[in-house]
Amino acid sequence: MNLIPGATSATQGLQAEQLRMEVISQNIANARTTRTSSGGPYQRQAVRFSEALGEALSGVDATRGDRQAMPRLEILPDTRPPVRVHQPGHPDADGEGFVSYPAISVHEEMADLVSASRTYEANLAVIRNGRALAQQALSIGRRA
Amino acid sequence: MTEALFGGINYVAAKKGLDACVERQRASAANIANLETPGYRRVHVPREFQQSLREAVRRQDPASLAGLRPGVAVDGSAVARTPDGNTVNLTDELMALQENGVEHSLHVQLINGRMSRLRAAISGRMS
Repeated sequence: MNLIPGATSATQGLQAEQLRMEVISQNIANARTTRTSSGGPYQRQAVRFSEALGEALSGVDATRGDRQAMPRLEILPDTRPPVRVHQPGHPDADGEGFVSYPAISVHEEMADLVSASRTYEANLAVIRNGRALAQQALSIGRRA
Repeated sequence: MTEALFGGINYVAAKKGLDACVERQRASAANIANLETPGYRRVHVPREFQQSLREAVRRQDPASLAGLRPGVAVDGSAVARTPDGNTVNLTDELMALQENGVEHSLHVQLINGRMSRLRAAISGRMS
């Protein structure tokens, strides 16, 4: 039973956006990380919303209710090659004096972060609205 | 026995309207949750439901009114404004959400009004 209409989808949306924000902050934090446990510079992580969802939705029917649309996230490594900077004195410099930095643009990450937090707020608005609907429905028959 | 009390066309129509509001809320929730899903096509409660509801009330036809069920379907008229093929527009969706909330409270008021009139008629007191 679900008292708040749309809460399941909105909760999934909130979780998806939260995970996205976590990945973004991880990218920003590691924008200058030149050495990781696996060797080499940090690899930027990219978030992908599952596309299978759109296909699953083409056959929606009301009986399936909230289960009809859940965004799913996948975290994939970004394939952009590292940026090579000439810094001969750096401890991670190679034989030619170049250091590989992860290909992360902090501006790009910040823009993504703003977009994620905006979507997060929109999902919160859905839950607030759903709660108002439920409260109104509960007021039916109540003496004024 | 209570059919006569709660079987009025307008009362039943208000209940159907409430059902449609809940479905619309679900559709909006799914759309907003999938704001960033590439290729997602927005869903809605088709306009035909509202039209058949109005038609049934106009013709005072309880049978066709009882058979009405609001459903959620893919909105074929929505166009993608971004290259990823997603047809959800956040502003429109939030607007629809607010309008839906107002419509829901309208139906709740109609039902409550009907109930308080019944209560007044039964008890003889305007409480």
